[in-house]
Amino acid sequence: MEKSLFLNKHNLQPFLSGIAADYAVYVPVRKGKHRFFKKYTGTTDEVVIGEVRPFEPLKAFFSRAKEIVAKGFEDTIPHATDKPFAIVGVKACDLKGFKVQDFVFKDQGFKDPFYIKNREENLIIGADCTCAIDTCYCLALGVKPYPQEDFDINLSQIEEGFVVKVGSSKGEAVVKKNASLFEEASEGQLMEKENQRARVHLEVEENIKKNNVPSQELFGGIIERNYKSEIWADEAKTCVECGACNTICPTCHCFLLFDQRDEKQMARFRIWDSCMIKEFARVAGGANPRPKLWMRLRNRFEKKFDFFPKVSNVYACTGCGRCITACPAKIDIRKVLRRLVNNA
Amino acid sequence: MPSANIYRPIKTQVLDIFPETPNIKTLRLKPVEPIPFKTGQFIELTVPGVGEGPFTPSSRPSVADVIEVTIMKVGKVTAKIHELKPGDIVGLRGPFGQGYPLDEFKGREIVVIGGGCGFAPIRSLMYSFFDMSGQFKKIFFRGGCKTSKDFLYRNELEEWTKRSDLNVELTVDKGDSDWNHKVGVVPTILDSVDMDYAQGFAVVCGPPIMMKFTTKKLLEMGFKENNIFLSMEKNMSCGIGKCGHCRIGTYYGCKDGPVFRYDKIKNFPEIWD
Repeated sequence: MEKSLFLNKHNLQPFLSGIAADYAVYVPVRKGKHRFFKKYTGTTDEVVIGEVRPFEPLKAFFSRAKEIVAKGFEDTIPHATDKPFAIVGVKACDLKGFKVQDFVFKDQGFKDPFYIKNREENLIIGADCTCAIDTCYCLALGVKPYPQEDFDINLSQIEEGFVVKVGSSKGEAVVKKNASLFEEASEGQLMEKENQRARVHLEVEENIKKNNVPSQELFGGIIERNYKSEIWADEAKTCVECGACNTICPTCHCFLLFDQRDEKQMARFRIWDSCMIKEFARVAGGANPRPKLWMRLRNRFEKKFDFFPKVSNVYACTGCGRCITACPAKIDIRKVLRRLVNNA
Repeated sequence: MPSANIYRPIKTQVLDIFPETPNIKTLRLKPVEPIPFKTGQFIELTVPGVGEGPFTPSSRPSVADVIEVTIMKVGKVTAKIHELKPGDIVGLRGPFGQGYPLDEFKGREIVVIGGGCGFAPIRSLMYSFFDMSGQFKKIFFRGGCKTSKDFLYRNELEEWTKRSDLNVELTVDKGDSDWNHKVGVVPTILDSVDMDYAQGFAVVCGPPIMMKFTTKKLLEMGFKENNIFLSMEKNMSCGIGKCGHCRIGTYYGCKDGPVFRYDKIKNFPEIWD
């Protein structure tokens, strides 16, 4: 069995500073009741490795909210010349987002050079969740509250520091470069990690029970079966079409190609788009397959719980609960799923 | 070699512009790199500093260095396209999507049905048939528009009626003194298509309402669902099934279409909207 490493909490700062030589390091920092990814400034005073996922989704480091994808007619790939990102404290729910983002941009059809470059170069330092918040329901989507794949290095926070697991050759190289900071993890430390994982697992289970969230095993056919249901119009009643649910979602991938309004300096931007916005599917001639807001809400669920399982065998939801927090209309994906599952 | 950056338009010169109807023009375009396309595939045309839009070429696919597109003025980008002059520079991306399966059509009877603006992709398909003349059992062309003024390529269509390898009938919803063909909606001129429907192919391109009723008629006549080809032109933008705007059921119009066999899409809700 490969041995597990241990990083003493006093060595976190030198470790992150070591990484900062090669990467633009982003760390979760607590602000009020939320955590946000902030650029690492050399101090770990406010860094929160454990707890739960930050407010913003991981996808922002892989396809930027707004980026230039073409300059004039030049046959080049405009890339920012900065260092690649090292994203620290990434939670398992965000890593599941790769199942969808990779399918769209990397694995199927045309390979997107922007995404692939970021995917190859960025460093992902995952972390176990050390607690659950009310909106967490990852287990319902088959995601455990600790990373199991798609990370380069994973940190399991315990009392004295972190149990470290290496997940890729890229991660291996980073650990080797900072080898003096690590020691072999003790039996006791490994036990502490496992106990904590079991405790957080239980917390999420209780969350799911309390909020009555159906498990993904029950999702088969819920969209087709409820296509003409009144659930959609009922749930969409309070929607204000802001698109926050799309923006905040780790799996939403849709974008708009937008040309800079300047004929002399032609530049094409790729901007995150939202299928909740009325114009999303409208064609220039005026026809719109989804003119009503409830049709667009249904479309959002159709894409996540019908399209992706059919084309890629994955539900495009990670149980991160961000859309519940972000929605000003208090549309709760857990409740919608419950209604769809129960409406047999 | 195709560009590694699929979002980059290829620099293209506007060679000529021909008005077709008061709000439709055909542009002859010459990209600096040839863009070989299969009939039925589409391209994205960029007006620098304005934006881009999807159009299916109306020209001969065997000519790759010059592409013609026939464009109706309906929105922001097309309004700017209608202001273009010969010599102006635009951009092209593509080709995208799946074309018509010409090899499968060989040796068979085919009816091609166009309505209104749908004549544009159909013209490209007809040129392919003409280039391969003799390789098909029989070809019927049925075309309809609201009035005689709305017909694209009117002179060419009149020429087609004289071809021995083609059976043509044209109709308008409302007749006038300038019209010496049929009057009535498109499905009314399909009864004269004399072929083995169960073995034949039907290609339909036109406004959704026309495709809906034409498909209904074709099924009644005995055409097989997988032998009816429809053009599902949605809000196609990236062209490669990533931006999400043109989803139809489990497909993307840009990647899996825009030409679909009816049986592939018939179970998706609201395909005609």
